[in-house]
Amino acid sequence: MGRDKSRRLSGSRDFRQRLVLATLTSTAVTIVDIRSGDAAPGLRPHEVSLLRLLDKISDHHTIELNDTGTKLKYRPGVIIGGKGLEHDCGVHRGIGYFLEPLILLGLFARAPISIRLKGITNDTKDPSVDTFRTTTLHMLKHFGVPLEGFDLKIDSRGSPPLGGGEVSLWVRNINSTLTAANWVDEGMVKRIRGVSFATRVSPQLQSRIIYAARGIFNRFIPDVHIDKDHRSGSAGGRSPGYGVTLVAETTTGCLLSVDVTVSCPSVDEINEESEKPELTSPEDLGVQAASMLLEEVAQGGVVDSTHQGLLFILCALCPPDVSKVRVGQLTPYGIETLRNIRDFLDVKFIIKPDPNSNTVTLKCVGAGVKNLARKIS
Amino acid sequence: LARTQSRRSANLMQLVYGLPSTKLGGGALEENDDGEANSSDDEFFIPKGQKQAKNESPSFEDIDAEDCSKFFKAELRDWSNEDLIKSIRDRFVTGNWSKAALRGQDAD
Repeated sequence: MGRDKSRRLSGSRDFRQRLVLATLTSTAVTIVDIRSGDAAPGLRPHEVSLLRLLDKISDHHTIELNDTGTKLKYRPGVIIGGKGLEHDCGVHRGIGYFLEPLILLGLFARAPISIRLKGITNDTKDPSVDTFRTTTLHMLKHFGVPLEGFDLKIDSRGSPPLGGGEVSLWVRNINSTLTAANWVDEGMVKRIRGVSFATRVSPQLQSRIIYAARGIFNRFIPDVHIDKDHRSGSAGGRSPGYGVTLVAETTTGCLLSVDVTVSCPSVDEINEESEKPELTSPEDLGVQAASMLLEEVAQGGVVDSTHQGLLFILCALCPPDVSKVRVGQLTPYGIETLRNIRDFLDVKFIIKPDPNSNTVTLKCVGAGVKNLARKIS
Repeated sequence: LARTQSRRSANLMQLVYGLPSTKLGGGALEENDDGEANSSDDEFFIPKGQKQAKNESPSFEDIDAEDCSKFFKAELRDWSNEDLIKSIRDRFVTGNWSKAALRGQDAD
């Protein structure tokens, strides 16, 4: 492949997916105009952090950034993986932001990855580490990846704005390819599980969240159990916050999850800003989380709306076999993912709405991406 | 019915992958921006970022859209409402199993 064969992209959108897909398909990319019209041009700190992470786990790659950070040249190498890695995710985005690309890259690495990630474990923009542990990892089962060797341990939690959380992640590499999935039966919800957390605030707040959430669920199903995970001292990070992650399990083993977080702004921030932001009360938060989960259940997909993107990518990476999945309403992120998949992997999904259940079924023939990094012994 | 169904699926495919000739949206948007800038010279030097912040809804044309896999619903419905409860009653094991099975069959 020639140097000038690189794919030209513009803008900072879908930064993670573009990098992941470029790496998995060994396509060189040049991203231009990254926030070039913005008051603060160039890459944001979390994106730079992601590049550093990519740098840590791969070899024979080149990353070139211009002075203003508005132009990025990336030539992927081999994903090495490795044990005992460490990465500071910063406090601009949650750890969830980094976990999503990391799991995909880890599958196609030379060696299993074990990495310690520091930063914000629960925030409002990214899926929480609990969601990742309870739901995201289990999606891999449907693509023929056994879950041995995958784990996420939460050593300490950190809420925004200061973070201070630490998680350990283990991702195993796959032998050659994934297996095509026929995953259309969403089943019926048989139980609801969850984890609530509180960092540097009274553990009482968790009970109030759970009480409110359970009040909503009681109309539907009695099997509701929400754990409490209270962290105090150093395991509670550096900022106060509370929240809950809920997971609905269905009879066919599908997992639908939502998570919500409230974090109190630090004292300096309150002084700087003129008005004090209104915090959601634990009761409202519980009701909100429960309503969001029921909304996901009503959608009727095999995954929740947050995981659509990952689901589509996994389908597209499968060997040339037909994969069939059912999701609820397509999310903007999901649609963007489908477009990126078409651009990089040249896989087009056949998208069919199902008027009876208001769901969408997607079929595709995978691109057959193999783990070429793995040593053949 | 079959025809409308196929058309709807075509529409979804179009929504995602677009037609080769539907680049109109982006062009129109840019023109709009130019017009705005010309009409008021004072606001000529507003950075693009601020302009985008004004029209809050994230659009597909925004090349610097935030990379965020979570999906936010604008408003949440009140799930203590009896009608709403009924609408997803059969999605739970405590609901009517025969009706739920029917739903699956219709889908095939």
